Amino acid sequence: MSYIRFENLHKSFGKNEVLKDINLEIEKNQLVTLLGPSGCGKSTLLRCLAGLEDVTSGKVYLDGKDITNVNPKDRDIGMVFQQYSLFPNMTVAQNVAFGLRMKKVPKNEADEKVMKMLENVGLADKAGSYPAQLSGGQQQRAALARAIVTEPKVLLLDEPLSAIDALLRRSLQIEIRRIQREINMTAIFVTHDQDEAMVMSDVIHLMNKGKIEQSANPTDMYTKPVSKFAASFIGHYNILPAEVFGKLVGEDLCCRDVVFRPEVVEISASPTNEEGRYYWQGKIIDSLPHGNILRYAVLSGDTQIDVDVLFRSSMMFDVGQELFLAIKKENCILL
Amino acid sequence: MKNKTKYLYLLVLLPFLTVVILFEVIPLIMIIINSFFPDKGGSVTLENYITVFSKPLYKKAILNSVYISCVSSGIGIIIAFFGAKAAHESSGKFHNAFMRVLNMVSNFAGVPLAFAYMIMLGNSGVLLQLGKEIGLDALANYKLYTTSGLTLIYVYFQIPLSTLLLIPAFEGIRKEWQESSLLLGASSTRFWTRIGLPVLMPSILGTISVLFANALAAYATAYALLMNNYALLPINVSGMFVGDVTIRRGLGGALSVCMMLLMVIMILITNRITKRFRKGGAKA
Amino acid sequence: MKKKTTAAHIVIILIGIYLLIPLFATAVYSMFEKWTGLLPEGFSVKHYLTLFTEREFMSALFNTVIICIVPIVITILLVLLALFAVTVYFPRLEKYVQILCMIPYTIQGVILSVSILSLYAGSKGILDNRMVMLVGAYCIIILPYIYQGIRNGLNAVNMPMLLDAAEMLGASKLYGFFRVIVPNIISGITVSSLLAVGIIFGDYVLIRNITGTSFKNVQIYLFLEMKSSSTKASAVFVIIMMTTFLITALVLFLKNKEAKGRAKSAER
Repeated sequence: MSYIRFENLHKSFGKNEVLKDINLEIEKNQLVTLLGPSGCGKSTLLRCLAGLEDVTSGKVYLDGKDITNVNPKDRDIGMVFQQYSLFPNMTVAQNVAFGLRMKKVPKNEADEKVMKMLENVGLADKAGSYPAQLSGGQQQRAALARAIVTEPKVLLLDEPLSAIDALLRRSLQIEIRRIQREINMTAIFVTHDQDEAMVMSDVIHLMNKGKIEQSANPTDMYTKPVSKFAASFIGHYNILPAEVFGKLVGEDLCCRDVVFRPEVVEISASPTNEEGRYYWQGKIIDSLPHGNILRYAVLSGDTQIDVDVLFRSSMMFDVGQELFLAIKKENCILL
Repeated sequence: MKNKTKYLYLLVLLPFLTVVILFEVIPLIMIIINSFFPDKGGSVTLENYITVFSKPLYKKAILNSVYISCVSSGIGIIIAFFGAKAAHESSGKFHNAFMRVLNMVSNFAGVPLAFAYMIMLGNSGVLLQLGKEIGLDALANYKLYTTSGLTLIYVYFQIPLSTLLLIPAFEGIRKEWQESSLLLGASSTRFWTRIGLPVLMPSILGTISVLFANALAAYATAYALLMNNYALLPINVSGMFVGDVTIRRGLGGALSVCMMLLMVIMILITNRITKRFRKGGAKA
Repeated sequence: MKKKTTAAHIVIILIGIYLLIPLFATAVYSMFEKWTGLLPEGFSVKHYLTLFTEREFMSALFNTVIICIVPIVITILLVLLALFAVTVYFPRLEKYVQILCMIPYTIQGVILSVSILSLYAGSKGILDNRMVMLVGAYCIIILPYIYQGIRNGLNAVNMPMLLDAAEMLGASKLYGFFRVIVPNIISGITVSSLLAVGIIFGDYVLIRNITGTSFKNVQIYLFLEMKSSSTKASAVFVIIMMTTFLITALVLFLKNKEAKGRAKSAER
């Protein structure tokens, strides 16, 4: 049986239905991401698990117990919020000790745990500092320490890195993942950033408009989107109506949309012919370097298709150049 | 289940509501209701209001209140305009010292203020002595215990308040406007009459209505100077309820309502003008 | 440009002198035996000495301190509890609490005092007590300032998130509010309390109308004294004004400190 389970969960704010019949199971010791655009209900789902929002109907189970009506303070769940959730009137050490104090852990034991935890997140020298004296990254490390020092049953992270600049974000992602693995903690991470979800998660639950759109591990999520929404949200998919694509390659396709990633398209200046591929022609209208790849915008008929190639001098085409495109049939996802 | 505990928290609101209802809501409602009942007993009537507007004493009180409030606000705002302009144009030590003085004396009002003026300009006041010594009759024979004397004191407490209220508005006058109008050949006076004043007008009007309310409500200053021997709304209102005479809830209520209405009228007038200025400003 | 600042300085000096003369004159007056000619004669501090040994004056001072503290403490507690309930549980009621708190801005002290007096004087029970009426009236008069101070403080801290965080760590909402939120808005509460002290300290109309001379504060004392001895009264005046200035200076100092603190944390 799964560790965390949402059963027919509904949540409305007035007339606005934010969560529509969510059924979701989460395994122990995994880091699971709720991914989706803003307003998709991912944060609300997390807050329902935390008990910070009442559910309209449905049940929430944690570790085999129905916690739907349990007060948040009694749920034994740790949570890291967006920035500025540290108590500004307390030092870092006092912040981390707060939960232990609430649990009435003896002072000596609590002090020891706090110091150990601060060492683990690399803030041992900041124990006596106030939150306003820390950088954004340090604040979130302290918030993480505060959330896990009480050894909760599950750790919730509600977009904890959204206010942190890109470079630092990457190192914090890795650090959160390391700590989660070290102490074998079940964690649920909410983000709207698909790269972040890819880097961190065991399982990604993609949400859209109050529903779970797709649940998969990062690789499957990237390579096998099950819907147009999933394709457009994960990676930079080319999404074409089947009719349009069918016309281009001269084949009837019995589906609504065809999606494929820019890097699976092969381009060449002269026609090729191999089995198991679709072929068509186009004209380069633009090229943009993105780090180590070069993205061409190719116009085929009335449709623009993006094509990624590795950035090397041997594969350079000019804007305006006519060329031949090919794609392996198995790389085309028919939806 | 959870909702029930939530409504328990209405109890937390209870102390607040008790105090506010007992000492704010009920008293205000009762004073308005009382104003429609005659003091001798009887049913609903406008008798009290008729008395207020027909008896010379009360008419005089309203007129005096309005007169002193208007004059002191008018003089106050003019001085405040130049004061705030100077504060805006100065900087460093001068500016800071001025701000400190304004903040300090903004709490200088009421009995202490009246007393200080009595020391200076009372019947045997220091300045009157000075006037005698140097032979300046106008000063030597100054009469503080009159309407003009009272107005003089009111002007004093209006100045720091209005200057402090106006200074932030001057921040809205951009240096660039002044410089560009200067480059276009406008004199400084022209700039202020054509651009500066219209831009400031909403703040000026808002300040005037604060000043008016401030003067209208001032009781301690007037009472300390003239006791009950002067017809002024706050003094007459107090007189109806406090002291040895019989308490006249109805008439006192009517006078209080008139006093509140004066405030409302003032606010409505300034709002009206402000709106017109905003519209005109947007078109220009 | 230079000419302009000179003109500004002249205006500032003129207004400054005008505002300071009454203070200065009365202060000088209090330190001399008499001032009937051009210059005061006979420097002396005996007025001050007699004041501080006089029981009546000391009790007026004591009364003033008490009547400043009690309503302020009550009002702070009432508003904190009300805002806690309203922001956490009944956000829809917040508007009404705000209106109730702002109404006293627009009612004059005279009217508030006589309406409370006429309603409860002669009634039975605790409300007939003049001190209860006076404290109640002061609570209402300072309500807008205390409310504004606490509200601004709450707006500056991210209260919903901090309360959520405290709750997730095992604290009840009420505990979280008083241990986590309130310590962070103390400076805002201090400033508005000092403003309230200034208001109550300078009040004459409410105390005169409600308690008459049965409960004397320093303002009443000054009023009575200036009818009999203007030299002694001038010493009372100086003490009152010094206290007032001290309060204002403290408010300004705390506000500046807070503004600087904000600027500092904004830099990060």
